[in-house]
Amino acid sequence: MATFSSAHCRPHATTPPSSLSRPRLSPSDCEHRRRVTLSSIPSSAQSPSRLRRSCCANAVRVQEGAGAATIIPVENELPWKKSKDSLSLTVPEVENINISKNESTVSITVVGASGDLAKKKIFPALFALFCEGCLPEHFSIYGYARSKMTDADLRNMISKSLTCRIDRSENCEEKMDQFLKRCFYHSGHYDSLENFAELDKKLKLHEGRRISNRLFYLSIPPNIFVDAVRCSSSSAASGNGWTRVIVEKPFGWDSESSAALTKALKQYLEENQIFRIDHYLGKELVENLSILRFSNLIFEPLWSRQYIRNVQLIFSEDFGTEGRGGYFDNYGIIRDIMQNHLLQILTLFAMETPVSLDAEDIRNEKVKVLRCMKPLHLDDVVIGQYTSHKEGSTTYPAYTDDKTVPKGSLTPTFAAAALFINNARWEGVPFLMKAGKALQDRRTEIRVQFRHVPGNLYNQKHGTEFDQATNELVIRVQPDEAIYLMINNKVPGLEMKLDCSNLNLCYAARYPKEIPDAYERLLLDAIDGERRLFIRSDELDAAWAIFTPVLKEIEEKKTVPESYPYGSQGPVGAHCLAARYNIQWGDLGTGQ
Amino acid sequence: MAGHMSPCSSSSSSSSSAMTFSHATSSEFHKSLDKFLVFPRKTPESSWVSRIRSRNRSRKSFQLKSSNEHPVSSVSLHDGSSLAKEHSMPSVKESLSPVNSESEKFESTYSITVVGASGDLAKKKIFPAIFALFYEDCLPKNFTVFGYARTKMTDEDLRTMISKTLTCRIDKRENCEDKMTQFLKRCFYHSGQYNSEENFRELDIKLKEKEAGKLANRLFYLSIPPNIFVDVVRCASITASSTSGWTRVIVEKPFGRDSESSGELTRCLKQYLSEDQIFRIDHYLGKELVENLSVLRFSNLVFEPLWSRNYIRSVQLIFSEDFGTEGRGGYFDHYGIIRDIMQNHLLQILALFAMETPVSLDAEDIRNEKVKVLRSMRPLQLEDVIVGQYKGHSKGGKSVPGYTDDPTVPKDSLTPTFAAAALFVNNARWDGVPFLLKAGKALHTKRAEIRVQFRHVPGNLYKRNFGTDLDKATNELVLRVQPDEAIYLKINNKVPGLGMRLDRSDLNLFFKARYPREIPDAYERLLLDAIEGERRLFIRSDELDAAWALFTPLLKELEEKKIVPELYPYGSRGPVGAHYLAAKHNVRWGDVGGEES
Repeated sequence: MATFSSAHCRPHATTPPSSLSRPRLSPSDCEHRRRVTLSSIPSSAQSPSRLRRSCCANAVRVQEGAGAATIIPVENELPWKKSKDSLSLTVPEVENINISKNESTVSITVVGASGDLAKKKIFPALFALFCEGCLPEHFSIYGYARSKMTDADLRNMISKSLTCRIDRSENCEEKMDQFLKRCFYHSGHYDSLENFAELDKKLKLHEGRRISNRLFYLSIPPNIFVDAVRCSSSSAASGNGWTRVIVEKPFGWDSESSAALTKALKQYLEENQIFRIDHYLGKELVENLSILRFSNLIFEPLWSRQYIRNVQLIFSEDFGTEGRGGYFDNYGIIRDIMQNHLLQILTLFAMETPVSLDAEDIRNEKVKVLRCMKPLHLDDVVIGQYTSHKEGSTTYPAYTDDKTVPKGSLTPTFAAAALFINNARWEGVPFLMKAGKALQDRRTEIRVQFRHVPGNLYNQKHGTEFDQATNELVIRVQPDEAIYLMINNKVPGLEMKLDCSNLNLCYAARYPKEIPDAYERLLLDAIDGERRLFIRSDELDAAWAIFTPVLKEIEEKKTVPESYPYGSQGPVGAHCLAARYNIQWGDLGTGQ
Repeated sequence: MAGHMSPCSSSSSSSSSAMTFSHATSSEFHKSLDKFLVFPRKTPESSWVSRIRSRNRSRKSFQLKSSNEHPVSSVSLHDGSSLAKEHSMPSVKESLSPVNSESEKFESTYSITVVGASGDLAKKKIFPAIFALFYEDCLPKNFTVFGYARTKMTDEDLRTMISKTLTCRIDKRENCEDKMTQFLKRCFYHSGQYNSEENFRELDIKLKEKEAGKLANRLFYLSIPPNIFVDVVRCASITASSTSGWTRVIVEKPFGRDSESSGELTRCLKQYLSEDQIFRIDHYLGKELVENLSVLRFSNLVFEPLWSRNYIRSVQLIFSEDFGTEGRGGYFDHYGIIRDIMQNHLLQILALFAMETPVSLDAEDIRNEKVKVLRSMRPLQLEDVIVGQYKGHSKGGKSVPGYTDDPTVPKDSLTPTFAAAALFVNNARWDGVPFLLKAGKALHTKRAEIRVQFRHVPGNLYKRNFGTDLDKATNELVLRVQPDEAIYLKINNKVPGLGMRLDRSDLNLFFKARYPREIPDAYERLLLDAIEGERRLFIRSDELDAAWALFTPLLKELEEKKIVPELYPYGSRGPVGAHYLAAKHNVRWGDVGGEES
C-alpha cells in the first residue's frame, strides 16, 4: 500500500541553524508557512531536536505593575538581539557555555498541575510526544498549582498515569526516567505576580542562554483564567522567544461573557498567543474530514445540497455526571458539547475549499460558515434530562440524584438541534446535532445522508420503502474509528434482491498502530505554532451568536427538559424533530 | 405457494407472463408476493429488501415480446400472437380458481435438452447448474432433463456420468443425496446424430411421453461445436419443437468469426427460430458482480454523478488466466483471445458499464441502451491494439511450455493469447475516456475485474508539498468479478498519527465476509433466465452485429498483415506493449501497479 511519506511525526529540523541568522520572517509570513509537510524524508533521517518555528514568536505585551500596561513588543525580526539584552540583564551565567545562542528551548508550564485533566491527559500526552521524538531536544515541563509539592512529588504523581504505546513499549522505563527528570514543580497562587516571577526565575535557570519559548497550559477553572493570564504574561513571559497560552473550555457562558473573557485575555495577550483548545478538532477522524473531502475526487462533487439530504453530528455518552455534576450543571449539554465540539465539526464539514491549508485560510472559511447560519430557534431544539432507570437489580441514578446537582435543576443533559446554513451550497439542508449523557451507547460520529436516487429503476415495485434506503457516509470519530459508505447492493444469488452493505474502512484493521490522543496533536501544534485546530476569537464570537439567543430563551422561559431514562435512546422529541424535516436519525436505524 | 417460492423467486416471478407456470399467476398472487417482499425472510442484514426480479418478469412488455410459445417453424411465425392469447387466458382463469378440475390440462411441463451432453461444458457446468437450480427449488414442478449426443449411452450411463459432477452447496448439504437421487430420476438420454431429423423426431416422441399432454415448454441447450449449430437448430425446430408451449434455444459462443460469418449464422438460425427464441449466452453477464454493476450505478446516488468523462479518467476491463491452453489449443487457435474473450465478454461488460440509464430494467430497454453504446464506438484501430503470445520458459529447473509447444497448436501459429486494446465511446458522456481492455492467458494471476480510475483532484490542497505523486494517487473503484468477489473504492486518507501523511486505503466490501452464502454459478442464473424468458443477459442479434462491427476490421488487418504477436513469458504480466498502450493514453494499468490489488 502506497504511503506518500514516511515521517511519523512532524519534522522539526526544517530550519537549519544557520538560517536563524537571516532576518526573521514577519509573523504574518509565519502564518502562511506551509504546515502540512508531506515529506518523503524518512523519520530516521531527521533530527527531532530543533524547534523549527521559533520564528513565530510574537509581540508580547508586558504589563508593568498592576495599573496601565506598557506595551513592549518583542521584535520578531531580531529575536536574538533581544535575547542578548535580556540575558545580560537577568540571567545568571549558565554553567554550559557551549550552548549556542541560536539554540532554543521550550518550557511547558501546566497551570493547574494537580487537576484531573492535567493528570489524565496533559502529562501523558507530553510523555507520548517525548517518546515519539516529537518534542524539541531541549525542553522542560513545569507543574504549577497551589498545592505544596516537591518536584519529586510531582514526578511521583505523573508517573502513575504515564504509559507507553503498545508498539513502542521497549525502553519504556528508561524513557519515563528521562522524561520525569525534565519535570519540575512550582507551587504558587494563580493570582500572584510574585509567585509567577519566582517561576520565571526557575524557568530561566533551565533555559540558560537558549532562545526561550514558553507555553502555558491553563488547566484551571474559568474564573481564574484571567488572573493566571495576567500574572504569567506580566511576570513569566519569555523575554526572547514566544509565549503562548493554551486555554480550555468553557470560553464564557454566552456571547457577552465570552466577549468579556476574550477582551480580558487580549489585554495581556495577542490573538496569536491565545490557543483555544477544542480537543475534538484533534481527533483523528475530524482531522481526516478535510482530507477525505479535498484529496479525493469522488466526494467533493457530492458535497452540496444537490446530493446531500442532511448531515448528522452525533455525540453520546453512556454515563451520566456520576457525582461530578457541579461544573456541568452550570453549563448544560448545549454549551458543553454542542456549541463547541459539534459546531466546530460542522464548520469543518461545511466550509468551502480554503485557499490553502494555512490556519488563517481554514479559519476564515469556518467563520464564513458560522456567519451564514441563522441563530438557532427554540422550535428547532429539543432538550432532555435523564431520569433514573431500574434494570434488574441495578438502579441507574437520575441527573438530579447526583449530589452535586441542585434538586430542581432544569439543566439539559441531552439536546438535539436542527441548524441551517443559508449559503449557495447548503441552503435547506438540515444539519442535525444530537448530544447527550446517559444514553445507550458511547459514540461520536458524523453521518451524511444522501438524497434518494431520482427515478430509481429499482424502485418501481417498492414505493417509498426503497427511497429510504439512501446512501450514507459515516465517519465514526469514536470509539473504533472507521469510515464507511452504505451502498445498495445486490445480494448474491439467483434473485434480484437488494440490501444495504458497507464499503468499509475500519481503522483498527487498516492501521494497527495506536492512534494518538487528541491532546498530543494539539499540544504539538501549539508548540509548533500551528493554529489550524485552535479557535480564533471571531470564530468563537460567531459560534456564540448562533446559540446565545436560544440558550437565553430556554433559561428565561425555564423550559422543562423532556425526561428520558438513563441508558435509553434519549427523549422522543429528538425523533419528532428529525421527523419534522423528514429525516431519520442514522444511529438509531436498523442498519448501523 | 409461498413455500414453493423460496428461496429464489423463479417460479413465482414469471407468473404474470401469461403462459408460464400453471400454479403461479394473477394479481392476487402478486399481492401476496408484495407482502412477502416487504418482510423478507432470512435477511438479517437490513430491514428493507427488494426483489426486483419478480417485477422484471411481470412487465407487460414481456408478454408482448415473448411470443414464442408457438411451434417453432418459420411458417407459423405469424399466428403466434393469437396462440399466445389462447394459452394465456386459460392460465389466468386457472389461477383464479386453483381447484378447477380442468387445471390439469393447462399444467405446464419443462424439458431441458442438452445437445452435446457428453461434452465437457455439459458435464462441468450445465448439468451441475440444472441440479443447483433443482435443489434451490428454482425449477418448476414438472421438468425433465434430456441429454442428446452421438455417443451410445443408456439413461443409466448418463446418470452415472452426471452424478460424478454434482455437488451440493456447503450451506445446503442436508438431504443432498436425496435430492440428487430425485434429480437423476428426471434425467434421460437420447442418442442421435446432430443432423438427423429422424433422430430428433424420436426425441420428440420421448419428450411427449414425459410431457403427458400438459402444456409443453422446451429448452434446447446447444453445447456443441459451431459448425453443427445450424443443423441441430434445423432438426430440433422442425421435428422436436413444442406444439403447445414455447421452444427456446440457448447458443454458446463462438457466434461466428467476424461480421460476415456471424451475420450468416444469425441468418441461418433465423430461418428456423424467431429472435426471441434465440438465447445467445455470454456467461460473464451472469457473474454476480457484473449483475451488480447496474445495481451499483442505478440504485446508489453516490456513483451516478461521477459516471462520466467529467470524473472518470479511464475504465479498465481486465481478464487474466494463469494457465495456457494446456493441450486444448485446437479450438482456441482458430479464434484467438480477441474473439474468445474481448469481443464478447469484455465488450459486453463495457456496454453495461457505459450505457445510459435505461427506461426500465426490461430486457429490451437494457439491450437497446447497450446497442447504443456499441454503435457510438468507433471500430478499433490497429495502433490501439497490442497482441501477445506466451512463450515457454524455465525457472528453477521447472519449465513451462510456450503456446506453440502445445501439440494441438500449429508450430508457426500467430494466434494471440494476449491482447490489450483502447476503445472509445464517442458520445456526450464518454468522449475521450479510454476504455482499456486486457485479456490474456498464461499470465501471473487469474482474475477478472473492472477498474474505474477517476481523475485527479483539481487544485488539490494537499499537493503542494507533494509534487506530482498525489495526482497519480487518484481514486479508483474496483469491482472484482473473480476470484473473491469484492467491491472496493480506493481513497486517499490520513495515516493516523501526529504527522500529516496520506496514504491510499480501501473502502471495502468483501462478498465472502458480507455474504457467507455461496454465490451461484453464472450458468445457474442464465439457465433460469432462459427458462423464465428473461432475455436481459442474453445477446440480441443487433447487439452481436454491432460488437462484430467494432472488431472485424481489426481482426482482418491483424490476419492479413500477419502481425506477429509480442512474446511474453508464461506466468508473466504480459507483453510490455500493453504498458506502452496505456501510457499512450496517459493511463496506468490498475492491476500491475506497485501495489497489488
